[in-house]
Amino acid sequence: MRIRGASNVATEGWSASGRAGAFEQEALSYLDSLYRTALRLSRDRADAEDLVQDTYLKAFRAARQFQAGTNLRAWLFTILHNTARNRFRDRARDQVTVDSEIVERAADATLVAPAPRSGETPETLLLRDTLAPELQAAVDALPAPFREAVWLRDVEEFSYAEIAEMLDVPIGTVMSRISRGRHLLFERLNPTRSPASALRAVSGES
Amino acid sequence: MNMSSCTSIDPLVTPYVDDELAAADRAIVDDHLRRCGPCHARVAAEAAVRDLVRSRQPGLTTERAPWSLRTWCTGAAHRAAADMPDAGLSGVADNGRGFVPRLLARVGVAPMAAAAGLVLLIGGVFLYQATHYSARLLAAELAADHIKCFAANRLLGTRDEPAAVESSMMSAFGWTLHLPEQFDASGYELVGSRRCLYAEGRVAHLMYRDERGRPVSIFMLPKRARPEELVEVLGYEAAIWSSGDRTFVLVTRGSPDEVQRMASFVKAALQ
Repeated sequence: MRIRGASNVATEGWSASGRAGAFEQEALSYLDSLYRTALRLSRDRADAEDLVQDTYLKAFRAARQFQAGTNLRAWLFTILHNTARNRFRDRARDQVTVDSEIVERAADATLVAPAPRSGETPETLLLRDTLAPELQAAVDALPAPFREAVWLRDVEEFSYAEIAEMLDVPIGTVMSRISRGRHLLFERLNPTRSPASALRAVSGES
Repeated sequence: MNMSSCTSIDPLVTPYVDDELAAADRAIVDDHLRRCGPCHARVAAEAAVRDLVRSRQPGLTTERAPWSLRTWCTGAAHRAAADMPDAGLSGVADNGRGFVPRLLARVGVAPMAAAAGLVLLIGGVFLYQATHYSARLLAAELAADHIKCFAANRLLGTRDEPAAVESSMMSAFGWTLHLPEQFDASGYELVGSRRCLYAEGRVAHLMYRDERGRPVSIFMLPKRARPEELVEVLGYEAAIWSSGDRTFVLVTRGSPDEVQRMASFVKAALQ
């Protein structure tokens, strides 16, 4: 279970007198998860660092607007989302291109996939055979709205309501994005998939 | 018996998988799944992916923020705490200026001489020997930083007050600085200061715009004398020189003559 607000603030290089206040310290405790989420949003380390920097700048500058007792973590993720949305709006970076290597791997996997043993289903094979790096690559290949929804829900463990507020969309939209994202991942990672279905999954087609 | 259709079940599938449905709705879905093979398969697939992601969560969350980013954010937190010491979780009253943070306030014009004043008053210690690099590599990295920092500045649209820059230099580098309050008519506007990610965050970066709005950067690097050079790289000119035991690099777009004039202006102020 996630321990929210846990204090793991890094203060390397700063003297005791240079420690940040309580608000800033708690905000900093979410640095790693903000960075990982920024990486998923941008799929680029330099962009992710810039996004996190801008997120903290905006958060610290707007600290007075933060309502004590409300969810600081969700508030920071909201700022991150808005920062990323504004930055990438004109870049058209969210179009997922078909990665030939991914398609080839998908095809290879189909060719070498062993026949399921008795009692094995695509679902059990998926759980047994999919490693974290492969899963992460599959998540990164999802179209942005589905990638973000699945990540926020299944990795960061936000509630539907929190995600809806963060993304400024109805809860129903959040659920449908999560559902769509999960099904695309299943298509992509299913050990019994065909190359054609993998290609569709990668490109986000139905 | 509930004769639910696949369409009516659809919006319930994801909360069903996430175990977020009320008992009554859950019973409706259970009933439907017993009778509908395609929906059963759909739910099984979604649940498998959910379980997969959750079970691999530790592997998906191993990556940590880079040290340089952590340092930068910690510095920003410290500056924020110093600027607004009473802006903690307990909440505070407005300071009468609305919610406009200090760093966002627009200010007047600070001349290039102000940068020279800053430079002269540096009292901190550089730890990173960034000046081992060749002049061309140094110029290239700083030109890249110049581009990146001004891009961020455009995005955020900020102008820092001299006091904010002083505070920033103090918290980031431990330097006691003083920016003159009196500005002349040189036309250079102080945009702000940044702690560059380059060289592990141990290079000070003062950002200006000239009278034409053109970005001008002055970088201050640790120790070690360098020969005076003017290097063209990435479409930018970088004037490099040393004064005392510090190296300065001025980066901007412009003709070599213009850049040398700017550098001379700063150098003269250092005398």
